[in-house]
Amino acid sequence: MTAISPRELQVPRTRTEGQVVERRNRHLAVRVPHYFALVVIGILSLFPIYFMAVTGLKNGVQLQENPFNIAIAHPFGTFYVLAWNYLKGDLLRTTLIVVSSVAGIVALGMLSAYTFARMEFFGSTFLFYAIFGLLLIPSFLTLIPLFLEVKGMGLLDNPLALILPYIAGGQAFAIFVFRSSIQGIPEELFEAARVDGASHLRMLTRIAAPLCRPIMIAVALLNITAFWGDYVFPSLVLGVPQSTVAMAIGNFLQPAAVPDVNLVNMQFAAYTIVSIPMIVLFLIFLKYFISGMSSGAVKL
Amino acid sequence: MVREGVAGRDVSTPRSSRVTQRKIARTLKAWAFLLPTFIFIGFFCYWPAARALEGAFTTWDGVSAPIWTGLKNFEQLFHDSLFLGAFEHLFWWTVIGIPAGMGASLLVALLIYRLGNPRAEYWFRVAFSLTLCLPGIVGILTWQNFYEIGGVLDVILKDVGLGSFATAWLANPHTALGALIFLGFPWVGAFAMLVFYAGLQAIPHEILDAAKVDGVSSWRRVFHIELPLIRGQLKVILVLSIIGISQNLLVPLLLTQGGPNNTTWTPVLYMYENAFEYAQMGYALAIAFILFVLSLAFALLTMRFLRSDNERRKRVA
Repeated sequence: MTAISPRELQVPRTRTEGQVVERRNRHLAVRVPHYFALVVIGILSLFPIYFMAVTGLKNGVQLQENPFNIAIAHPFGTFYVLAWNYLKGDLLRTTLIVVSSVAGIVALGMLSAYTFARMEFFGSTFLFYAIFGLLLIPSFLTLIPLFLEVKGMGLLDNPLALILPYIAGGQAFAIFVFRSSIQGIPEELFEAARVDGASHLRMLTRIAAPLCRPIMIAVALLNITAFWGDYVFPSLVLGVPQSTVAMAIGNFLQPAAVPDVNLVNMQFAAYTIVSIPMIVLFLIFLKYFISGMSSGAVKL
Repeated sequence: MVREGVAGRDVSTPRSSRVTQRKIARTLKAWAFLLPTFIFIGFFCYWPAARALEGAFTTWDGVSAPIWTGLKNFEQLFHDSLFLGAFEHLFWWTVIGIPAGMGASLLVALLIYRLGNPRAEYWFRVAFSLTLCLPGIVGILTWQNFYEIGGVLDVILKDVGLGSFATAWLANPHTALGALIFLGFPWVGAFAMLVFYAGLQAIPHEILDAAKVDGVSSWRRVFHIELPLIRGQLKVILVLSIIGISQNLLVPLLLTQGGPNNTTWTPVLYMYENAFEYAQMGYALAIAFILFVLSLAFALLTMRFLRSDNERRKRVA
């Protein structure tokens, strides 16, 4: 801080308008390469989304002519209609599976996280690390025994074969994040509630849960996107008639009405339809997500 | 079971025992709250994990009872050229993929951070975050199409006059593994980018102002101020990337299944095929065991290495 050059000190406090504009222009000129680089990288990153949506509108011949432009096959949106009919049952089924799994994760996760954050009991440290340690167990390690276990329970081809393991698998991360969030709530709020005779369950539902809503939404979103696109485990435990959307697009069955040349267009229409719910959800909760991620909490 | 109300009945009960009883009651209540979570993770996390570790030492077809065979699976694996090749592929994937992914995410985070215009910064973050909501399988299948003969990649090569290089990228043994690693170009991870950006934002203004006054160049600012100060974020993303890349089953499973000419096997894919194509559960679990131990050790080593480096710096300063 001692190295302030005399030149720096001589900068007049009030500048004329011309100087301000000139400064801003110079500032922008310095930033132009930054904007340019960001726009180029951004276009490359988002190109698959554009390509997907546009290819669903073309037919096979139009795609071969030029994969980059926007062309419309007649009748408009025909492949989107075909893909919708192909996917609508799977969309409903996957939605039910994802919603019940995420509800289970958030509800049980909040209950346990509240217990660890607010209650003193024997074995709390040990039990917390028993849950935290699960974060170190990769999914590939448990994949095979989990499949055999679900099969042994007679749950094959049943949505519960996904819902129950999903709820279990989401606990560790949710509890870890929720616990630190609940610990951040001012003690006075709980103290006031306790003086009024509130039980733990009441404090959980009336104080902790409303104040943790942003982090609950962030955790829910992360789980929803993971489950929505999950392919490997569902394709092991569910048959084709019980497909999730990821299975339906991963093992695409060509409908008789679609000739070979246009199959790829219907596939891309299906990819777009599968992506739309995630994009919509994301745009709705964008604010929570960006602020949750930008809070600087993620580091070691 | 001792209940709180019972303790109050006897006036002569020592105070300490009443406190103990209250503690027991509190503990039981807490355990009751935790019970649902533990039922779930007991059934669907601990039990399968224990079975996995135990199964690695057995011969098991998944139907009849497993037969304990000790280290036989592991001995066999060390002579299995497909398995050893799979680790070589994973090595290249890690060595190329992680620096590329982290570098791209860091570059974008730095560029956005340097814009100096909060609104522009916000909208660029939104734009790059959009890739996060594209389901992984959709991105992979889209890239599969890019790699096809006459696909987007070939069209671009032809447009820049390199059309002779066009090939069936995923079916050519010389290009298949490279194509899988290249998938997802320009590899900007939205999650990593947001974490890095958050770290950069947290750098105190005093430090940056001091640097500006001292006339520190842009490059020096990156390497001597910004990167050291987001060390924590770099570390967490590095560890997550190491763990994530060893688990990447979907890309080779959907696109190449180990082919062509066995050039794209990865350990986790080889595990999957052994279990569900050849019904060799014990052998597959031995692969899972080795991969688990190695990736865990590697992640822990990374954390350890980076920490000690950090401490050394602090001492010098």
